[in-house]
Amino acid sequence: MQSKGKFGQRLGAIAAAAIMLAAFGGAEAMAASPRAAENKVVLIARQDPGTLDYVTSGLTALRLWIPANVVEPLVYFNKDGSVEPGVAESWTISDDKLTYEFKIRKTNFSDGTPVTVEDVIYSLNTMKASPVVNNSSAYNAVTAIEKVDDSTVKVTLSQPSQNFWRGMGSVAGLIQPEHAAGSIATNPIGTGPYVLKSYTTNSTFEFEANPNYWGTKPAITAATVRIVTDGTAGLNALEAGEVDAVPVITIDLWEQLTKRELDKKFTLVTYPQIGEPTYAVFNQKLDPELRQALAETLDRQSYNDAFGAAWGAENTCTFALPNQPWYSPESADSCPYPYNYEDAMAKAAKWASTPLEYASLSDVPDLSLPADIMIPAMQGAGFNVTRNAIDLARYSQLIFQGRPPQFDITVMSGDAEPTQWACPSPDKAGWSTYCSAEYTKALSDADAAPSDEEYLAKMKEAADILRKDAVIVPLIAKKGVGLFDAELKGFLEPRVLVAIEIGKLHW
Amino acid sequence: MAIYALRKLAFFLGAVFVASLAIFILIRAAGGNVAAIVLGKDATAEAINALAHAYGLDQPLPVQYFNWITNMLHGDLGQSFRTKESVADLVTARLSVSVPLALSGLLLGLIIAIPVGTYAARNVGKPSGAVLALISQIGIAVPVFWAGILLSVLFGVKLGWLPTGGWVDWRESPIGAIRSLVLPVLSLGLIMAAVLIRYVRSAVLDVMNQDYVRTARAVGMTRTQALLQVGLRNAALPIVTIVGLQIAELIGGTVIIEMVFSLPGLSRMILANVAAREVIVVQSTVMLIIIFVIFVNFVVDLLYGVLDPRVRNAA
Repeated sequence: MQSKGKFGQRLGAIAAAAIMLAAFGGAEAMAASPRAAENKVVLIARQDPGTLDYVTSGLTALRLWIPANVVEPLVYFNKDGSVEPGVAESWTISDDKLTYEFKIRKTNFSDGTPVTVEDVIYSLNTMKASPVVNNSSAYNAVTAIEKVDDSTVKVTLSQPSQNFWRGMGSVAGLIQPEHAAGSIATNPIGTGPYVLKSYTTNSTFEFEANPNYWGTKPAITAATVRIVTDGTAGLNALEAGEVDAVPVITIDLWEQLTKRELDKKFTLVTYPQIGEPTYAVFNQKLDPELRQALAETLDRQSYNDAFGAAWGAENTCTFALPNQPWYSPESADSCPYPYNYEDAMAKAAKWASTPLEYASLSDVPDLSLPADIMIPAMQGAGFNVTRNAIDLARYSQLIFQGRPPQFDITVMSGDAEPTQWACPSPDKAGWSTYCSAEYTKALSDADAAPSDEEYLAKMKEAADILRKDAVIVPLIAKKGVGLFDAELKGFLEPRVLVAIEIGKLHW
Repeated sequence: MAIYALRKLAFFLGAVFVASLAIFILIRAAGGNVAAIVLGKDATAEAINALAHAYGLDQPLPVQYFNWITNMLHGDLGQSFRTKESVADLVTARLSVSVPLALSGLLLGLIIAIPVGTYAARNVGKPSGAVLALISQIGIAVPVFWAGILLSVLFGVKLGWLPTGGWVDWRESPIGAIRSLVLPVLSLGLIMAAVLIRYVRSAVLDVMNQDYVRTARAVGMTRTQALLQVGLRNAALPIVTIVGLQIAELIGGTVIIEMVFSLPGLSRMILANVAAREVIVVQSTVMLIIIFVIFVNFVVDLLYGVLDPRVRNAA
């Protein structure tokens, strides 16, 4: 009995040692993904969209996966600005840029039904009426959407519109069958390379290759997107080899990513399309001098440093992502109220008795971290700032939904176009409170620009007006950051707004 | 016993009614609007109001409450604003994750706690009893999410024996589903066992000091015989109580475990829908859970009456 007990003890000790060795031992060599031989992939998404209805929802969590994979736009805009066919196999644009004719491809939706001109007209009209401003604003100049013949749709504009043409390569140009519109929230149908086999909220998207796809068959025949809201759990799954990529790693995980040396074990990609500008918002009701003094407390480098990975973000004073031609990083030229703490302290004395409420989103790390830096800096300079920490739903009610919005200062992050700040009159100001006739006109002129050069010049002019008004004050431009299995190739920077194109990946 | 049961039933129904009012008021008092969340920050106020109207969120609150309760009584739990899916379907789909998780966690906790707690009580004052008490105390102090992360890193990332998270549906692969549940159940069960060990130990210690156990030993029974034949029924009372409370605790405990292991369970669904202000989904699902928890306590009360005549006679 005694020897048996000792044997048991030894066995236990060996097992414990093995576990400890495995648990705390060095990094092991990465094995090839077990999915490679089957041409499958498992990816990770950080957020659950809750709905796949891209007509009524502008959530990034949705736009990452459905456009381009399942539902395609009329055309695709490449990174270099060139245009490729999508649902439209060709198109003609009149010389005065007021008439667009789209020749619709003879193909089928993933449910087997043919794509018709009526479906295209329905889709464009649906997007024109979309409550999501980013969708509907592409159609501001559209006066008619008509059938020419069984394969041609004509769109007539009241004035040339850059927003319309670019929108046809974005979510605003996605084409769906009218008969399946009722189930779009759980089962969107389109002409893309994949069919969405199932969507389980808070769990997974399952994609399978679309047998009716008109283009080259994708190399990846099936993809699972696991929704893992806990960022550490997502990185653990990647490290354990259970998944092949985390294409969008939010800024709160960047430091962990480098500390765990995951950037050495996997292919790290950075791309601006899925990035987000982070910006302070000062209510326009505040005195312009006060807004300018507050802007001088913003040390952009400290925000960048706080996220612990300078390769993922740039300091900027432009509201745009670095892939936009009118973007410029922080410089003496691009920052009208550069960081100048002493000057801010001197000016703060005048405003010390003015109470300022800082509305802070408590449950979004990307935004609570900048607030953690911003508020003490403003208080330290002598401004009378009080933090009001609230959750997203309450924030939506007070700020996005409330008119006028109830805040003096806040911080926000978002990938929307600069056109979101366009405002026909002060009573139509959106949640940001920003309204400038001059800015709106510059954007309108940019939209109507007959050439790309004039468009760019007007967009730069608009960006300059925005920054000088010190209501929207950009801090940093975050890039999209992803980690891919080293063997998984073909990642393409998003062409349709923020979509991750699974069809371009291959082992 | 019948009067006792009827009184408990009346209490059960009253509690359900009060809970329904509380849920309804609280979710609205939290503020926020599903239309604003769905449309995002770029939506106009007009668009938000139009969508809120389409969802019926602009109706007077008493009308909304009445409609909800009437539909619930007819078995209609409502449907999600965002996806139009029926709440009943949403709940049913998630029970296949949550029920095995919660029940297995509880079972594991009990399997560990009853023998270990009894052993600790019988060895009170000895080093082995003290060590067990200390271990259970440490277990109580460990947050369940921390246990989950540690187990995930050890058995998932480092050893690669089990998935770090995620869910494989039972229909797709029963083995895969079980593998998905092992680490979450271990996390839940071990922490629950630590709590239960203390209660079992106390209950058994109490019983061991009672006169009837001394009498049983005086007539020749061993300590084990006295404990099993005389003490067990009495020790069961506090243990049944605490198990009933633990079932309610499980609802909260599984939220964290479902988050850590990315399981598409009921608790995580509720959390996501609270964040999205999907009022009908939250109201109906939380109502179902409350009915379940109150019902468990109702059953515990009835068991009290059965196990101890003093309780039913006093009532």
